[in-house]
Amino acid sequence: MDWLIQNWLLVISLGLMGLGVWWLMPSSWPRSQAGGWLLTLVGGGLLASKLHVATGPLAESILFWIFSVAALLCAVLMITSRKPVYAALWFALVTFSTCGLFLLQSAPFLAAATIIVYAGAIIVTFLFVMMLAQQAGATVYDQRARQPLLATIVAFVLLGALLYTIKIWDAHRAVAAAEESRAMITTNELSRPAEDQPIGTMHGLGRSLFGDYLFAVELAGTLLLIASIGAIAMAPRRAEGTL
Amino acid sequence: MTIEVERYLAVGAALFVLGALGFLTRRNLILMILSSELMLHGVSLTLVTFGRMHHSQEGQAFTIFILTVAACEAGLALSLVLALYQKSKTLDVEVWTNLREPDLPPPMLAEDRDEPALELPEAMRFPLLTPAGRAPQKSGSSDEVVGSNGASSSSHSRSERI
Repeated sequence: MDWLIQNWLLVISLGLMGLGVWWLMPSSWPRSQAGGWLLTLVGGGLLASKLHVATGPLAESILFWIFSVAALLCAVLMITSRKPVYAALWFALVTFSTCGLFLLQSAPFLAAATIIVYAGAIIVTFLFVMMLAQQAGATVYDQRARQPLLATIVAFVLLGALLYTIKIWDAHRAVAAAEESRAMITTNELSRPAEDQPIGTMHGLGRSLFGDYLFAVELAGTLLLIASIGAIAMAPRRAEGTL
Repeated sequence: MTIEVERYLAVGAALFVLGALGFLTRRNLILMILSSELMLHGVSLTLVTFGRMHHSQEGQAFTIFILTVAACEAGLALSLVLALYQKSKTLDVEVWTNLREPDLPPPMLAEDRDEPALELPEAMRFPLLTPAGRAPQKSGSSDEVVGSNGASSSSHSRSERI
């Protein structure tokens, strides 16, 4: 009971967001979308007021809020969309917003690679498969969620546990411990960024990938080869035997 | 060094949880795979945040491997989806529940599963083209089924009739 009183804001905001997302789910009885969005936004705003920190540069703060709100809104729109093609396009917007967050986290190469791989390759592949395998018009299974109430409860209890863990996790102590353990993270002198150097540059990332993780890079290349062979082998063929 | 790691971790956790929610509730096979990609986005954001907190390249190097695995997963899963679609002509995941334990109930509630007729909203009803012309005659069969065909075959059969 004390725990509930101490964390009432977390509990109430998660409950509102869960109710809103459950309200937005595709269901058999029609309900207005506006109520679900109102509940979700109020819950998210309550939660965001906890996460706001006054310190730090203002521009990064503004960009962080723009990208993270866009990412989470598009994610909710994606999982509640009744049309699969729209869901894929909302997922593309989630990818762009996440790449904005990567840029804020000093990972410019990773942001570019994620946009190229996800938005350029994966989303396009999904859209092609939707064209190949989508039935004409709207389908029943896109208009009905599977066990929406139980799934929403499980998901938001998990989110509450994660956020509570992040909150009680003392960042300053963790950073101090990280400073001590930094010498042990990489034994390679070349891939360790200096104290005043930025991380995530192509130079440093290449040193790390092809220095420390060379075998893993080779394994990833083999994995790509095996996956492409497997995809060709599994793809359905026409009766004539051609692809 | 002022790094507000908590809020980035919170956004990563929320992305992961929303992906998990989509994976649990969506019934379309393609959208389930897309939701798992959303979960991978949350994990990537968390890894990059921890890498920045520790001031090391490891988080971003791991995220590049996540990208590789996501690309492999998308290719394999989509060819599987196509193969399943060829067999069942539907993308509904409820069709493929044969592998569960025999004494367990089906994973979906009966009133949601056995939906007799779907009342679509007005905006999602698409007009149906009226069938015109006659079907092209296959070799050996001469049944005249009226179907929706291309203009060339119907005009051809009409000219034949004339």
